[in-house]
Amino acid sequence: MTISLLQYMLIPLFSALLIPFVARRRGKLAEIFANVTLLAGLINIGWTLLSPAVLASGFSVLAEDGFSLLMVLTIYLVGLCVSFFSASYGQGRGVNTAYFYPLLLVSVAAMCGVVTSTDFFTLYIFVEVLAVASFALITSDDGREGVEGAIKYYLLTFPASAAIMLGLAVMLLSAGTFSFDSIRIIVYSGASAPALVFSLSLLLLGFLVKSGVVPFHVWTPDAYQGAYAPVSAFLAGIVTKISGVYAVVRIAMFLRLFETGAFRLSEVLMFLGMVSIAVGAIAAMKQDDLKRMLAFSSVSQIGYIVLAAGLATPLAFIGAVFHLFNHATFKTVLFLNSASLEKAAGTRDMTRLGGMEHPMPWTSWTSVIAMLSTAGIPPLSGFWSKLIIIIALWDAGAVTYAVLALLFSALTLAYFLIMQRRIFFGKKSPAAETASEVSPALLAPAVLMSAVIVAAGLLFPYFFSYLAETIASRMVL
Amino acid sequence: MNGSFATAWYFAALLFFIGLYCMAASRNLLRQLIGLEVMSKGTLLALIASGAMSNLSLAQAVIITMIVIEVVVVAAGLTLLVKAYRTNGGVDVWKLSSLKG
Repeated sequence: MTISLLQYMLIPLFSALLIPFVARRRGKLAEIFANVTLLAGLINIGWTLLSPAVLASGFSVLAEDGFSLLMVLTIYLVGLCVSFFSASYGQGRGVNTAYFYPLLLVSVAAMCGVVTSTDFFTLYIFVEVLAVASFALITSDDGREGVEGAIKYYLLTFPASAAIMLGLAVMLLSAGTFSFDSIRIIVYSGASAPALVFSLSLLLLGFLVKSGVVPFHVWTPDAYQGAYAPVSAFLAGIVTKISGVYAVVRIAMFLRLFETGAFRLSEVLMFLGMVSIAVGAIAAMKQDDLKRMLAFSSVSQIGYIVLAAGLATPLAFIGAVFHLFNHATFKTVLFLNSASLEKAAGTRDMTRLGGMEHPMPWTSWTSVIAMLSTAGIPPLSGFWSKLIIIIALWDAGAVTYAVLALLFSALTLAYFLIMQRRIFFGKKSPAAETASEVSPALLAPAVLMSAVIVAAGLLFPYFFSYLAETIASRMVL
Repeated sequence: MNGSFATAWYFAALLFFIGLYCMAASRNLLRQLIGLEVMSKGTLLALIASGAMSNLSLAQAVIITMIVIEVVVVAAGLTLLVKAYRTNGGVDVWKLSSLKG
């Protein structure tokens, strides 16, 4: 564990323990407690990253790993949006706030544990804690679909955990340690270690299943679609990214240091990333359920991250980490908007929606911003991360992948424009006649996240210098 | 030492694949959970074997923590089983098909 970041894990955990006692009588207290905890954490991490002294030094005074810090910021941002949203959304839905908010905070704590851990074993433990908390969250409205999604998630995640445990056993045998730094030194010293490569590939297999990359993506659409609406934003926005993709990117950082053996593994990673981009985008084209479409789009965007991680040049890592951040922002907006739509119009079925921009202008506009960012339209943040990834691919000579990534980016724009037209534009449907805009409390998280998307796009030079200073330059020994 | 090590890994692999087969072949959620358990016992055995081989004190801490995690995971699985039984009236995983697209 990085000791200076331990507070981000312990404080939510402590509030999670406190809430069931405090809020037994009054459910409102649970909401206030959770929101205040997350807001305080967000302000704290925001100040750590963006205080004038840090900005003036060009981020070189940050001693901690830049990847961890940025992920902590993302976790708190998404956590705050989701908990603020569910405070107004959950009324009258039979969700017990005295259990829901502690679980939310436990998963925030577990995610902070994942991103601040400095060895594979700690990382694995927190991933398991996160998984158990997220099953409970998925089923928190006790719906039939939620239980089904959770079971599918469970039945694929835990065999993957078994693969990770096996990988840890082989790693214990071949390296004698789990620490990232020691393994980096062992790898860098040039000792060709087939057993170590084998253990890393077992870990990679497990984490690829957990991140929902094709061909292991079967659980993602079901879990996202079935989950309680604010929870699906939480899952798609951050949980599966931290429990799977984060570790994949971490492991990919080692693969690059190997002399020969692990190169094939990187190539497999790139191939799987490309396949996910393609399959996710094509499957998203023909979905009728909004949440399911967004889930496939999520599979496709994860593909970009995995593709860049597999390429494993410093520029590609900058692109991967930046895309991870961007994915969290725009996917949270889109899922929260789908929840708002469901609340206002009573359905997520795109064939029955239409002309929703007239009653719901704010939802429509935030959705346009998020969708353009996903599709990579300048000057929004998604454009820059995709651009970096494609330039990195081109630079490394993977021209085919670069061209394909560009083409499928256009396909992303296509399916999102289809979605936007079917739901928000066009003639007023019967659902749009009766619907009205949701309350400001439900709009605030989406508006905040859209502001972050625009700001991250416009202030891209700062982001790039942050990532270059804290990740790319410190990656090489 | 070497002989017992090979035996341990042989049984670890055997348990792993028995568990995997049990998960793949059965339709009952409870049986799948049992298969999952068998599978993770196999991996625990592998961990114990490599801990004994490498003679690190780290291994003991790892194995004890793993056992605790497994208990939590099984508890989560059983609650899902109960919830599935209450909402669907059965535990057949092939009948879980209300989510489609």
